[in-house]
Amino acid sequence: MSEEAEFPPAPQVAGTSLDGTKIFTVSADENERLCRSVGVTPAADGTAHPVWYYVATQVAMGKTVAGVCETCEFDVEDGPMMGSSGVRFFRPIMVDQPYKVGGEILSLVRKKSRKLGVMDVLTYRLRLQPADGGEAILETDNVWVLPRKELA
Amino acid sequence: MSYAVGDAIAPFVIPSVSADAMKDWAVFLADPNPIHLDVEVVKAKGLGDRVINQGPINVAYMMNMLMAAFPGGMIEAMDSRFLDNVYGGDKAVASGRITAVDGNRIDCEFSLDIEGRGTVNAGTATIRLNA
Repeated sequence: MSEEAEFPPAPQVAGTSLDGTKIFTVSADENERLCRSVGVTPAADGTAHPVWYYVATQVAMGKTVAGVCETCEFDVEDGPMMGSSGVRFFRPIMVDQPYKVGGEILSLVRKKSRKLGVMDVLTYRLRLQPADGGEAILETDNVWVLPRKELA
Repeated sequence: MSYAVGDAIAPFVIPSVSADAMKDWAVFLADPNPIHLDVEVVKAKGLGDRVINQGPINVAYMMNMLMAAFPGGMIEAMDSRFLDNVYGGDKAVASGRITAVDGNRIDCEFSLDIEGRGTVNAGTATIRLNA
């Protein structure tokens, strides 16, 4: 019998939509504050700091962080942890341009680790698109680890 | 400017990770998780005795290193793994090296290291020059 058979399977959430309805715009002021907060000056060419990929997609996706956790039957108070973040840029994020977010949960896989015990590994994909339509300017895959203390 | 496999990327150094920046990021991310804001909560959860940097700030440090190393270039792809926490007051150093050169595309590997504790983030990126 495999170890995975010792505990119940993870909730079936692959395919859950994370399409957002909010419009997200990086203002020049916000971009300057973010750049200063990480020790750089804003670009002069109208491009926003590329780390807005993470901020914009998280803020404007169709669920809050707590909501994503709830979908996975996980209490956000139990401490989700970032595992990895990947991004592919097709075009830069521009200051003062309105964007919207589309996306979906790709997978939720239950595993057992020596360090964390039983955990669910959540992978979701988000795309940042011009608010008025058109191709996505970036796509990001984030992986979170959801420790399942109750199953440890 | 020419680039070659094995070239080191000039480090980007954060002398002391800012707790005030974490407050700004709680607003940017619309996520007031108290482990980034209240040291007493961090202690109560057994996570340490200093506030914990939001993960994407660590990504930003590594992006800063890449953007400084390749002026005018564009990050086409970047993957980073979160290996450990970064705490307020930590000295953080992002560094890396070139692993491939293909025309105007440069592949790199990089890490974010904390003085006295080692690597807390690591990853790879592809930069397109003269974007």
